[in-house]
Amino acid sequence: MSDIVDHSRRQFLSFAGKAGLTTLVAQAVGINLGVVDIVRAQTGKRGVEPFRFAIISDAHLYSMPDHKFDQQLADAVAQVNAMTPLPDFVLFGGDVAQNGTEDQLVKGNKILAGLKMPLKLIPGEHDWYLDMGDAWRGLFGDETWSFNHKGVHFIGLNSILVRDFWTEAGMTPLERMTVMEMLESPIPGPWGVHEKQLEWLANDVKDLAPDTPVVIFTHSPLWDYYPRWNFQTSDAPEIREILSKFDNVMSYHGHVHQTLYNRIGNMSSVAALGTAWPWPYPPVELAFPETRMNRADPSIATDGMGTQVIDLSGSFEGLVQYKPFEDSLTPFMRDGFKV
Amino acid sequence: MMTNQMLKIERILAVSAAAAVFAAGTSWARAPFTDEELAEQKAALVESIALGYDLWHGSRADMTTNGLACGNCHPDTAASNPQTFPKYMTMYGKVIPFREMVNWCIENPQAGARLDVNGDDMTAMEAYAFYLHRGKEITPGLASEQTTPIVVEYGAGYARTPTGVGVDTKP
Repeated sequence: MSDIVDHSRRQFLSFAGKAGLTTLVAQAVGINLGVVDIVRAQTGKRGVEPFRFAIISDAHLYSMPDHKFDQQLADAVAQVNAMTPLPDFVLFGGDVAQNGTEDQLVKGNKILAGLKMPLKLIPGEHDWYLDMGDAWRGLFGDETWSFNHKGVHFIGLNSILVRDFWTEAGMTPLERMTVMEMLESPIPGPWGVHEKQLEWLANDVKDLAPDTPVVIFTHSPLWDYYPRWNFQTSDAPEIREILSKFDNVMSYHGHVHQTLYNRIGNMSSVAALGTAWPWPYPPVELAFPETRMNRADPSIATDGMGTQVIDLSGSFEGLVQYKPFEDSLTPFMRDGFKV
Repeated sequence: MMTNQMLKIERILAVSAAAAVFAAGTSWARAPFTDEELAEQKAALVESIALGYDLWHGSRADMTTNGLACGNCHPDTAASNPQTFPKYMTMYGKVIPFREMVNWCIENPQAGARLDVNGDDMTAMEAYAFYLHRGKEITPGLASEQTTPIVVEYGAGYARTPTGVGVDTKP
């Protein structure tokens, strides 16, 4: 189990030691762009000290200097830094890079270094398949992790592992990367976390009590949303089974570049907006269609993109608020929703 | 000079010919296409769709200066809504055809060079997008909603020769 670290991995900030403390901390939590302030001052029955964390996801940085996506990621960093109160930390939902090159990952790391708070990341397929994660690991550390923060157990998994389609075909690393860059690529098939991480997950949670608040973080959703675009994780049923003993599990993910909520059993699932571009909603029925955002207007360059912040209460209830760069939310979504 | 009698005879012959066509039911201005001809026509269409698929996914360098391709935002041509054109687009302030919308995306989000609207490449882009919306209701002017393409079960979405790699194995 690792402590959360900052983006540079130089400063280790142990939150684990603070977990479960009954510290009376009055937090002015800004809701609806600061229109309403509420004060939370007590630890919940499960030992959760209320706090907030933010998610930035899917920057898809290119190598060109001064690419528009660089500024969009910088805008996301500025947006999170301006949140009141500040999130305790930021989770990055994968796909720092577009083509998996080291220069793109280094550029992303440099921009994300502007965050005032610690950062934790999991990889996306665009970060990974040029060098099978070597550069990503060198910059950001292990892709499988967990830590405790103020009474909540956070888990991160690498959900973009596919079977080896390149060796037998004699593909170069660049060809492998190019295949993986295309959302609707007919070659790689469904991805997942695979057996080794499933074993790690089972071991990680085996000693946790059922009322432990759990947040799991992956690039792709832990349910079958639209497998053709890998809006899925192939071993999500096994993940949900391992986590089925818990009263309440929150799953947050990137990859889909859109607002979205779902729930299966004890697991709620919330998608993150990207900072690069919005994906369309695929041709499937949704259980909670009201959580869709407006159709992005292509004439507004950053419509349908942004960040998100989640306030966790003492009873491990989450208030999810999307923070789009533009006016992208339906009235239903503007006040946030509880998970 | 044609007399009234001659005109009358000509009308009778025309009506008779039309009646014969109607009665026969299978008379045509030309013979139906043979299976071989239909196969050739389908192959030509698939060739155009395949070219469109490649262009959609970045095969032509001058369509972008920032690395973006149509497929970045429109996987399987989703949300390109070809069946809703012609329609009013705010960036033009007038009704435009689908091919002009394609060029808008090339010139703006992709910062590339527009295609010849009468060229084979543009036709191919249309062929790919429309093929993945086949059977969808034609609704010109629908401007505010995202529509979806057909569900693509496997492969590229059209009858492409399988690559033999990965899941792309069905014809």
